[in-house]
Amino acid sequence: MKEAAIAQTENERLNAKLEQANRQLLQSEKLAAIGQLAAGVAHEINNPVGYIYSNLQSLEGYLNDIFRLTDAVDSARSLEDLQLIKKNIDYDYLRSDLKDLLAESREGIDRVKTIISAMKDFSHIEDEEFKPADLHRGIETTLNVVNNELKYKAEIIRDFGDLPEIDCIISQINQVIMNLLVNAAHAIEEFGKITIRTRHEGEQAIIEIEDNGKGISPENLNRIFEPFYTTKPIGKGTGLGLSLSFNIVEKHKGRIEALSTPGHGTCFRITLPVNQPEQGNDG
Amino acid sequence: MTRIQLVDDEPNILSSLRRLLKPQGWQVDTFTQVEDALGALLEHEYAVIISDYQMPTADGVTYLQFAKQKQPDAIRLVLSAYGDRASMIKAINQAEVYRYLSKPWDDYEVVAAIKSALDLYQLHKENQRLREENDRQRAELKAREEELLRLEADSPGITRVRRDADGSVILNHD
Ligand SMILES: Nc1ncnc2c1ncn2[C@@H]1O[C@H](COP(=O)(O)OP(=O)(O)OP(=O)(O)O)[C@@H](O)[C@H]1O
Ligand SMILES: [Mg+2]
Repeated sequence: MKEAAIAQTENERLNAKLEQANRQLLQSEKLAAIGQLAAGVAHEINNPVGYIYSNLQSLEGYLNDIFRLTDAVDSARSLEDLQLIKKNIDYDYLRSDLKDLLAESREGIDRVKTIISAMKDFSHIEDEEFKPADLHRGIETTLNVVNNELKYKAEIIRDFGDLPEIDCIISQINQVIMNLLVNAAHAIEEFGKITIRTRHEGEQAIIEIEDNGKGISPENLNRIFEPFYTTKPIGKGTGLGLSLSFNIVEKHKGRIEALSTPGHGTCFRITLPVNQPEQGNDG
Repeated sequence: MTRIQLVDDEPNILSSLRRLLKPQGWQVDTFTQVEDALGALLEHEYAVIISDYQMPTADGVTYLQFAKQKQPDAIRLVLSAYGDRASMIKAINQAEVYRYLSKPWDDYEVVAAIKSALDLYQLHKENQRLREENDRQRAELKAREEELLRLEADSPGITRVRRDADGSVILNHD
């Protein structure tokens, strides 16, 4: 009797330790992923910042020209003089280009804002509790964060169904989606297609991420969820992406599976319960 | 007219560069598609070609390599938001780019880089012109020499006619 009790507490202790190790692994994988993304995000931000900055300098030039005209209102001797200045500064061009300059710069600022808020959404470490969340929003956030890894590799096709809010830890689900998207992009040699599909089936929500990349051979398909299994060169992959994704989905009482045809592509399917069963009595 | 080609998949980058370069009075052709930029190489002669590094269908270095084959005289520059060493080395070794500019850029730096690229282009052109001129003159000289040899062979001594200060032929042999 007593021995059994000791074994039981020992077991619990080990389980708790495992759980903690898992959490740490998850955290460090997340940080690694963010580090890897930072370079891509910098690239994404450098483009809009580049043209906004340059546009501001052009704007300064335009304003100087326009002030030359308005200042001359007081000093010019005749209307002809004013008209001459107006012609010299290419007023009509300034006028029409100013509109474009401002619209394009605003577009750039919006782009930067979106990227920053996606990064913020994405790196939320504090909220580790289950909350109803909008999966489509999570997918968009993730797409914004990994845009730089994807846009040169694939066209993204969204085939979204109607989804209710899902009980989940959205930051973790985002991480799963990111792993799948980055894997899909890596599997494409030149330029391909990545389809993101969602649908609601009874008590479950389904997310599929499908690529038309090189695919996975049947003997490797059994191994992809193993920790440290990777076919990528050192420095490119740690082989943790899918095993952590598997853990996260399992924690959500869901399933993740892969279908693949070598040479044609791969489809990962995540099935999540819409509502989490009551917490507490799981082992 | 001085023609410059700009290639970048982001149209807003192209607009801002066009604004920046407008006061210089150069003909600036912009392209968001590598394929179109390639097509333009067949139609116009460019002095300077500036390309982004990362683009969907082909990377900038591959494009510039192509451009180098089609228009070896055009000076090539890269304007990239992706400043890693590997890409720079590739650009220099494979596409022989003249400058590697980074985004966000400094307007002054971009204009200065293009101006010095244009100077280099003019210099190459001028060199080429001088070399051709030189070749032509040399060929002319050679033809004249041959003519002299032929004359001398026909009538020995004819090429050694002596002349007076005023140009008249001196006939008396002393
Ligand atoms: N969409 C896919 N198409 C083809 N192969 C894939 C795909 N997704 C995963 N794989 C294979 O599964 C392996 C394991 O993937 P996993 O995400 O776990 O690690 P990784 O991508 O190699 O490294 P990282 O830890 O950086 O994610 C990959 O190395 C690759 O061989
Ligand atoms: Mg991976």
